Order: sequence, then structure tokens, then C-alpha cells
Amino acid sequence: MKHLTAINRKAKRVEEYIAVNEEEDDVFALQQGPPQQRPHYPVGCSLVFSPGWEVDVTGGTAGLCQPVERDLYDCYISCYWPAQVPDHLNNYPDWTSKCANATKDWRKIDLVFP
Amino acid sequence: MQITKALVAVVFSLVLFFCWANVSVQPQAQGAGQAAKAGDDGLPVNNALVVQKCASCHKKDDKGRLTRISYERLSPEGWQQAIKRMVRLNGLSLTPEDARAIVKYLGTYHGLAPEEAKPAMYYAEHRLQEETVPDESVRTACTVCHTYGRIISQRRNKEEWDLLVNMHVGYFPVVEFQGFRRFPPPPDAPPPPPGTDTRHPADRAVEYLSKNFPLQTPEWSAWSANMRAPKLAGRWLLSGYQIGRGRVYGEVIIEPTGVEDEFTTKTKIQYLKDGATITRNGRSIVYAGYSWRGRSFNDKGKTADANAAVTTTTDAAELREVMFVSRDWSQIEGRWFWGDYEEFGLDVSLRRVSSEPLVISANQQALKIPATASATESLTLYGANFPADLRAEDIDFGAGVKVKRIANASANAVTVELEIASTAPVGKRDIALRRSFAPGAITLYDKVDYIKINPDNALARLGGVRFPKGYQQFEAIAWQRGADNKPQTADDLNLGPIDVEWSIDEFPSTYDDDDKNYIGTLSPTGFFTPSVEGPNPKRKFERNNYGEVWVVATHKAKDAAPNAKPLTARAYFVVTVPLYVKWDQPEVGR
Ligand code: HEC
Ligand code: HEC
Repeated sequence: MKHLTAINRKAKRVEEYIAVNEEEDDVFALQQGPPQQRPHYPVGCSLVFSPGWEVDVTGGTAGLCQPVERDLYDCYISCYWPAQVPDHLNNYPDWTSKCANATKDWRKIDLVFP
Repeated sequence: MQITKALVAVVFSLVLFFCWANVSVQPQAQGAGQAAKAGDDGLPVNNALVVQKCASCHKKDDKGRLTRISYERLSPEGWQQAIKRMVRLNGLSLTPEDARAIVKYLGTYHGLAPEEAKPAMYYAEHRLQEETVPDESVRTACTVCHTYGRIISQRRNKEEWDLLVNMHVGYFPVVEFQGFRRFPPPPDAPPPPPGTDTRHPADRAVEYLSKNFPLQTPEWSAWSANMRAPKLAGRWLLSGYQIGRGRVYGEVIIEPTGVEDEFTTKTKIQYLKDGATITRNGRSIVYAGYSWRGRSFNDKGKTADANAAVTTTTDAAELREVMFVSRDWSQIEGRWFWGDYEEFGLDVSLRRVSSEPLVISANQQALKIPATASATESLTLYGANFPADLRAEDIDFGAGVKVKRIANASANAVTVELEIASTAPVGKRDIALRRSFAPGAITLYDKVDYIKINPDNALARLGGVRFPKGYQQFEAIAWQRGADNKPQTADDLNLGPIDVEWSIDEFPSTYDDDDKNYIGTLSPTGFFTPSVEGPNPKRKFERNNYGEVWVVATHKAKDAAPNAKPLTARAYFVVTVPLYVKWDQPEVGR
């Protein structure tokens, strides 16, 4: 099979991601064992507005981040909701380059149209 | 969304493990068709441009099939989305003209049969709809990020469904933990009972999808043999409905262009309730012989009220049309929509005008049966080719309704005076004008039993600073219970919109819940305008203005006794955060 540059680019970003993140204390959390509960998403919520990012497991907003901008980077970096928030890994490596702290600088991020 | 940092880290490392442990998760351009066993069911690509642009990565075999491409059948939006990814991530470059021609070829000759497309039309139409996902694995693995509609507007062989899963894992590794894989049981857990299906949800989803949405189907063999460019040029009557604005009536002139499956349109419509008239010019492509994608423009090139932040009528500068052409080219149905979240829309139905009389709608949706004696009502019917010698007895509403006289008549509209007997049976009536029928166009009722809010479950999005606001229009509909005398059952009669007072009640989801003070405003006409996005320093923890509430409608009948209980209804309503990325394929209608 022919090797495709896109994939190599992607692989490279995965490596970059680990390199960057290995320094952060996030990784220590690994030693605390397997997750206690499954990630939080709205089981059964499937109106055609893309569900998941916008409501919590009860179908409301009480469980969203307060404010939601605090959560934006986790979503972006880990591409947790790539259908709602741009993903860092492949499609939008520079999405937040103008915005160091989303809670303060959220006015500097763009709506994107893949 | 409450995902802790620790969890992200765990998830991430495990994902990386999976990515490296399993090389096949890398998205592949080759894949399907490589394996001889899966080989013979692909569709040859008989289009030089597609081969020229795609075959460098998607190899062509001796039967003219391209890897991947020949083993999928997709809606126009499906092809558009895949091709945009080829450009965005895989290094393809295409001019917009070539992209359009390729989507048109693939959306037609590697598309869906009408029977296959119909259940998924709501997705292309951007309709607010509650989905039912019959398969549990598909629901948990596949509908946490996007809709089921996206999935069921595709057909693939088994290998292609597998490769689609790999595509997700390759580009969005965390997907493994959002439902693609089961978490391993704790080490001390008892072994599952024998016969337990221990496969991962994604693998089970693939099995379901390849069985229910395969590449080769009897519907597609039949349709692809019969498919042709539709001949739609001519005059069409439109009847439509918009939430909050009511019924619409009008005319669409469809004209041919030099290309057989592309058309231009001239539309003139009127809102029956407030009389507003709108004219528009449009352009469209019909894919696969039936699948209309178009857009239209108002003649001013902007909204009629340039100062309005949002237009709630069809005079939007540009609106998109997604419609389904009937097999005999006599009807076209679908949705015209606009708004940053496609939240505004008109449900439309077009009927072709021939040389025969055609009646399609009336200016009222329901008529009340009097309690005693009989009542006189005036009703206007709309249509085309109404004969000059039309007589009262040419128009028929069924038992208990007599056409007393024709008050006013033209070729396109006739006003009749009706006598409704107190003994007239309750129910939906077809209107017949000579041999033309408007099925169920009018309902006879004697009582409003209850009201319901439409939509009864809705979502708006904060915005207005950096991201657009997502609005929501509500309306209240009057209902009469049907013959079973039970409310909220299938035999109930929709009597159309009813005037109500609107208010918002808290939906208590936290202690001291006060969302209702922040989310936005609901107008006296049921139009909700959300507040701005961004952290709100006035709220605890700088919470955004999001929240969930009940929208409440209250109707007091004019003739009701002073102490009579008003009719009320409520709708669950979430006002939430913006979307930061918009996966949408408006190009298919350009
Ligand atoms: C430069 C290489 C390249 C070219 C040129 C290319 N593709 Fe692809 N294609 C890929 C790769 C890599 C994948 C697998 C990863 C993915 O799906 O993004 C792929 C996958 C696909 C898929 C499968 C997607 C899915 O959802 O399962 C389709 C369909 C497709 N390509 C269509 C096309 C069409 C149509 C063209 C020509 C207009 C084209 N490709 C040109 C590299 C290419
Ligand atoms: C993590 C969120 C997520 C989950 C879970 C998910 N998807 Fe997707 N899906 C996406 C995103 C984002 C895209 C857009 C990819 C693109 O076009 O680049 C997509 C695209 C698609 C497409 C269009 C593919 C194309 O070639 O353009 C299909 C079909 C699809 N998904 C089906 C599925 C199925 C089936 C499942 C379950 C096995 C699933 N999705 C689970 C996020 C998700």
C-alpha cells in the first residue's frame, strides 16, 4: 500500500501531542488506576441538533462546565466532541493560537466550517 | 462533558496504545476491493473526471472500480463531506467546478434509491426530529456525536463499514472510549455467563449496519436501471407551513437550463395569516433523478428588513431547498430553510399544474360544527385552472357540509359559502373540486380538547457576540381527541395554531435553579431570542447563560365561563452553548 502523507502528518501530531503533554501533571493521574465511571454523555439524547456537547447525561445543561469555556480546551485537545468543537489532532491544529485562555479570550476563537 | 483531566490522560494513553496495537485503524485510501473475496460487488466508475482526480490514491481495477469509492453509495451530502475531507486532510486539490461535477456524478450514479433516501431526508432537510435508533450498539457507539441520519444516508459493503470505524479511530482516537469499545471488566469480576456477546459495540454496530445498509440492494438495482433526468419544467402550486407563521400558498415556475438535471425557479408565495407576499428566484440540481438541492434569493439581495438581526419569513437573502421529487414527477416535497442553525424553515409541497382543475388548499385548516341547527362559513379554496362554469355542486366536502353558493371565483381561487349541519361528523375531510382532490385539507371539529406546543422539545443556542444566536419559534396547536376519546393518540385531530399567552417556568435541575433569568426572552408571539454566549460574571461560577426551562402556553377561550380552567401546555426547552465547528454541506445546492 502506498504511504500517504496525510497519515504521516497525523502520526507526527500524535507524537507531538505526547511530547507536549508528558511534561504536564495530567499524566501522573494515570497511576490512579482505571476510570471510576464512564465518560459523561447524553445517552438517549438524539434530536438532530448534534447531541453530546450541548447537554449532559440528563439532557440538560447543569452538568456542563461552568463556564463552558473552561472545558473548551479539553474538548479541543483530546478531540472529545469533534462534531461540535474543532479537533486539534487533524483538522484545526491552530484553532486557539490567538487565544491563550478561553475563559478570558473566547472572543478570539472562530467558528469553523470544515 | 464533565470529564476530568485525569480521565483525559488515561483515555489518551490507552488510545495511543490501541492506535499502535492495531495498524488497521489508519485511514486508508486503498482498503475495500483490495481483498479478492469482497471484490465483486463494487460499482464501476464511468466518469473520466472522477478517475482522473481520484485514481491516483484510489486505484482502479480491471473492471473500472476504484478502491473505496466503488464500494459506497452516498447521498449528495455524503459525497460532498468525503471529498471535502480528501482536500482538507488527504492532499487532494480540486477546483470548485470539478468538485461540483464529481459530487453530481457520484451523488447520482453512486447514490441512493428513493426508498432508501426517504427515511433519511430529515437529515438533509435539517429538521428538528427525535430519532429512534433501533440497534443498541449503533446507538451507543455512533449517535453520541452526530445523528443517525448521517449514517442511514449511506450504503456500504461490510469492509467499508469497517473502514469507516477505522477512519473515526484514526482521526478522533478518543472515540474508542465514547462507545466504540467496551471497558475491560475489573480483574476480580466474575466471568460473563457463557454465550454473552463480548464483542465491542463498534464491531456489533458494523455487523448491524452491513446487514441493514449494504452496498447492493434490490431497491438500488431497480432504481439505477430506471433512473433518468426528471422533466420538471412547468408551473407548480405550492402549499406550505411555517411554525409560528402558519400556512403559505403560492406558485413555483420551474424552468429548464441547458443542463438536463438543473433548473431555475421563480417563486411567489403568500402567508395566509398576515398576507405577506414574497418573491424569489432560485437554482437547483436534481441528483439521482429525484433528490432536489437548490437555493433561492430574494430580489433585493438582502433581507427585506435590512436592520432586522434575523428574518422569520422566507424573505431571507438566501434560503436552501431540499426536496424529494415523486416518481411520476407530479409532486415535490421537502423543506426550505435558513438561519445560522437552519432553525427557520418552511415545509413545502408542490403539485404540478396540468390542464385539469387542481385544488390544493384552503384558507382555514378547521371549521367548527355548530352545537345546534346549522352555521354558515365562508371558505376560500386555492388551486389552478378552476373552470369558468364552476357550480356549487362541483365542490364537495362530504357529509353534513353543503356548498350553498360560490361567492367569488377566479381561475386560481374560489370563495364558497358553506352550510355546516350540527349533525356533521367530526373528522378530516378531503376537498373535491370536480375530479381534483385535496386530501384531508380541512378538519371538522366541535371542541378544542387540549393544546400542544410545537415543537414540544427544543433547543436554542447562546450567541450574538462571536458566534451566531440559534433562535427558536414556538407555536401552540389546538387538538380535538378522536373517536377513542383519549387525548394524545393517533386518531386525534390537529385543528391548527391557536392564540395563547407565552411564559417560561423554571425546570428545576439544581438547587436554587435560576436559569430562567438568564437564558433569553420569549416574545408574545412565541419567538425566543437567546442571550449572549461567553461566561457571565453575574452568575455563580461565571456560568454561561445556558439553562433548561419549561416553555408554557396558556389559552383562555373567548367564550369560556369566567371560572373555566384555561388550556395549558408546556415544552421542554434547552438553551445551550454554541457550536464551534459546523459540519454542513451547503455546496450540494450550488
Ligand atoms: C491524495 C490521495 C487521495 C486522493 C487524490 C483522493 N483520496 Fe479519497 N481517500 C484518501 C485517503 C487517505 C482515505 C482514507 C482516509 C479518509 O477517509 O479520510 C480516503 C478515503 C476516501 C473515501 C472513504 C471515506 C469513508 O467515509 O469511508 C472516499 C469515499 C473517498 N476517499 C473519495 C474520494 C474521491 C471521490 C476522490 C476524488 C475526487 C478522492 N477520494 C481522492 C486519499 C485520497
Ligand atoms: C467522536 C464522535 C463520533 C462518533 C462516536 C462517531 N462519529 Fe461519525 N463522524 C464524526 C465526525 C467528526 C465526522 C466528520 C469526519 C469528516 O468528515 O472529516 C464523522 C463522519 C461520519 C460519517 C461520514 C463519513 C464521510 O466519509 O464523510 C459517517 C457515515 C459516520 N460518521 C458514521 C458513524 C458511525 C457508523 C459511527 C459508529 C460506529 C460513528 N460515526 C461514530 C464523529 C463521530
